[in-house]
Amino acid sequence: MAEEKDVADLREKVARAAQLLLFRRHMQPGVKAWELKRDLGRNYLEVIKVLDDELGKLGLTVKKVEGGEEGSDSDRYFVTMRGHPAVSEARTFGWRIDDMAILSVVLSYILSKQGKAPLKEVERVLEEKFPRWKVEQDIDRFIRRGYLEEDDEGVLYIGWRTRAEVDQKALLGLLLGREKVVEEKVKPEGSPEVGENEREAEEDVQ
Amino acid sequence: MVVTGQDRKELMLRIINLAESVIKSGVDPFDVDVKEFFERLRAILPKLRDSDELNLDIDAVLGLANIIFHQGESIRFKSSLLYLDPLLIMWKIRSLSSKELAGVLTSSWHPIVDMESITPHGIKESMDYWTNLPSFGDRARLDSTEVLPEEMEFQELARLGILSKEEFVSAIERAWGELKEKADGGEISYWDFINAKTFEETISRAWIVSFLVSYGYATIDVKPLEEEIFLKPLPKPMKLERVTTFSVPISISRSEWQRRRKHG
Repeated sequence: MAEEKDVADLREKVARAAQLLLFRRHMQPGVKAWELKRDLGRNYLEVIKVLDDELGKLGLTVKKVEGGEEGSDSDRYFVTMRGHPAVSEARTFGWRIDDMAILSVVLSYILSKQGKAPLKEVERVLEEKFPRWKVEQDIDRFIRRGYLEEDDEGVLYIGWRTRAEVDQKALLGLLLGREKVVEEKVKPEGSPEVGENEREAEEDVQ
Repeated sequence: MVVTGQDRKELMLRIINLAESVIKSGVDPFDVDVKEFFERLRAILPKLRDSDELNLDIDAVLGLANIIFHQGESIRFKSSLLYLDPLLIMWKIRSLSSKELAGVLTSSWHPIVDMESITPHGIKESMDYWTNLPSFGDRARLDSTEVLPEEMEFQELARLGILSKEEFVSAIERAWGELKEKADGGEISYWDFINAKTFEETISRAWIVSFLVSYGYATIDVKPLEEEIFLKPLPKPMKLERVTTFSVPISISRSEWQRRRKHG
């Protein structure tokens, strides 16, 4: 009887965690660790682990982005796609090929420069391949969406959304041809098409 | 060697500037000979005269300490799996096409999934708005006269001395060239093209675009479902005698312009 109650309690908490993570309640998506702790209790990581397993069946996963010190309450949790979209699919989200190419260049350049680079320098690199108006427009847009951050000194950094959405190591590996660019969308968990390497590249929820 | 007060000050300011360059501009911290600078600071320390010089000395020492911190960070980064030579990255960026670069991003991209929702407070506010909204009939009875905007022909502008024929033709040609460059062989969003830093400039661009389309320099494609309008430049101006033409009214209000500037 007690066991049944525990299962029902866990189910309720998993449902609550899904609502917290999937419905945007702030300007930014995602939920901070302290909010999860407040709503799900001290063992919120166990609830998140169960939710992650459930979301895996739908091709989604729970991603943690560290906010500061390890185990900090400011860590933020998001639901992201477990696999990645194909270029053609990303275009249906409203992304043009040149927008994706520009973000790819900016992120690679900033990552190769220890995570920060002056805006002017980034613009100069981009203008070798793209028109100036496009570069300015896209950088503004990426800052607004959280892919990039800019400080008062005009230095660009990797933004919170990049930390949540982009596998930075894979990005550099793919750029250098160390990993293969996969055109096909990775299928949800359980599908035979999912590559082992891709699965390994996913960050586990702690 | 005689070191004047001016020399001492210059040395300390140079060290402070160097430290700022390392922190802000990404100068390699290993390009700074920290040991030598510390030795020079030690040499001038007994000669420092006033509190200003001592403050500069403190800032210079703190700057050097910061450079050492960045040297440590640099070593940590270079020994991590994420480190790749920036020159190699630049070479790859230059050699890949836009499509390949887009593929690099999407293959490492796991977009966030979330849903926007409305709060009970938001629902109540919407309900109040709807309940208090006058009926259509009441609104129609308001004492106002609608004045429809009218098109001003180029001849009329020329008559008023606002624009000469030469200026007008060169403005059209300039806009056509810009449109071709931005569309890059394809099409471009109407709003992206006319969008400018000021509302007045945006209206001016929209006005020129209306002539680009009317005179056959470009075509306009309205996609009502997506609520998007695209402009496609033509390689040569098209004669319009045999083409079925139609008018596309596009309203540009200041609030709409501000909204688009804000949300991109």
